[in-house]
Amino acid sequence: MRRFYLPAVLLLLLGLASGQTGSSYITPELQRLIQAGGQSYASALLRQDPGQALCSTHRNRLPAEVLGPFIEEQRKTIRYPADGKLMGDWKQGDAIFNTLARGNCFSCHVGSPRNIGGNVGPSLEKYGQRGTSEAVQKYTYEVIYNTWAYFPCTVMYRFGHGGLLKPEEIAHVVAYLLDPASDFNTKPALRR
Amino acid sequence: MGRFWRLVGAAVLALSGLFVLAQEEDDPVKEAEKQKKQLLEQSGGILPSDLFVAQGEQLFKAKRGPKNASLEACDFGRGPGKLEGVVGRLPRYFFDTRKVEDLDSRIRSCMINLQGFRPEEIRRSEVVAIAFYIASLSNEQPMTVRPLMPQEKRLYELGERLFYLRAGPRDMSCATCHVTYVGKRAGVLPYSDILKDKRAASHWPAFRYSNDQGWTMADRIRGCYTVLGMPAPDFYSEPIIALTLFMNVQANGVRMDLPGFIR
Repeated sequence: MRRFYLPAVLLLLLGLASGQTGSSYITPELQRLIQAGGQSYASALLRQDPGQALCSTHRNRLPAEVLGPFIEEQRKTIRYPADGKLMGDWKQGDAIFNTLARGNCFSCHVGSPRNIGGNVGPSLEKYGQRGTSEAVQKYTYEVIYNTWAYFPCTVMYRFGHGGLLKPEEIAHVVAYLLDPASDFNTKPALRR
Repeated sequence: MGRFWRLVGAAVLALSGLFVLAQEEDDPVKEAEKQKKQLLEQSGGILPSDLFVAQGEQLFKAKRGPKNASLEACDFGRGPGKLEGVVGRLPRYFFDTRKVEDLDSRIRSCMINLQGFRPEEIRRSEVVAIAFYIASLSNEQPMTVRPLMPQEKRLYELGERLFYLRAGPRDMSCATCHVTYVGKRAGVLPYSDILKDKRAASHWPAFRYSNDQGWTMADRIRGCYTVLGMPAPDFYSEPIIALTLFMNVQANGVRMDLPGFIR
């Protein structure tokens, strides 16, 4: 038992010493190239996580044998608000959805009555028509928290997973989309 | 009655005019042409990029630096002092520096080696102006970047790999916008198609009328990283040269529009 253990530890230490990233996409040669871009650049890129590495390797089209475990891993990352409420305050959600430096949702999705939407993502116009059942709330929350659990390798940010929005903030956005009283559902969407 | 119909006709014309205008704004190339025309009319025929070019020419020909030399002996790949069309052949490997260099880093190398500047003395604004001058002498020349040297081939492959690398808190890669979501819109402009639209990589350096700045490809690459919440690679660094090499090869064959004039 011990005989197998020692080489493994040595290999691990060797890996750490040579600055290996653990990412399967970043070859040692690519790592040296990235390091030539400066310290802060390198520290951001070399922190590539295994999910990002898979999407990079397969150019965003995961083969069937990878897909299942990938989705499983992404699902595991999802955290919920401490109070368990997946629908927060739609007015706070409005501010997040419509602010470039926060959610920036409008840049890719049509549906906001305050900003002209983009077409990178699907239209969310009258999203509230789906009702506010537990299943709809959960789906909406989880897609925003970690969209790769539903749409592997898509462009939409994994807001919760990436630390861009807190669970409570995501719940506010869910309310903005689902609450029948929300401006999102009572006012017409702006489009080009 | 006749007057009524004239009014209706005028209204219809005005409306269709608006419609055409709205459509034109959808095409970034047409929109840029319109802006260029407006600027030319306002300024009496001078574009801001002309001023960059003139400043760059002065800097290029002046004897400067500790060695009191001009940059006229700088070799951009066609021999010392030969500038015509060189932008379409960069990045390429240079034997004197033993590096693959793009336009920006080659200018910097010559400022260091010919003029004797220390790296920290090199001002970015001067490099950009000189890049505009050299670019003006490559206008309408073809892009012909062929990675043949082993160093060039290696950097091209790394550039391609880096182009598709997803990282950062927003899971972004260059390819996310410029391959996967080409033609879609998140904000003002549709994403340019780096792989298929040869105009995309072949108009740098360019004047940007939206922020009134002269940008080289390096500024464009750094800007992309920054807006996506990632630290940008250093100026003149290998990641920038590798990405530029990859993108310029995609534009091979096109006649370059230099200096570019874009949003």
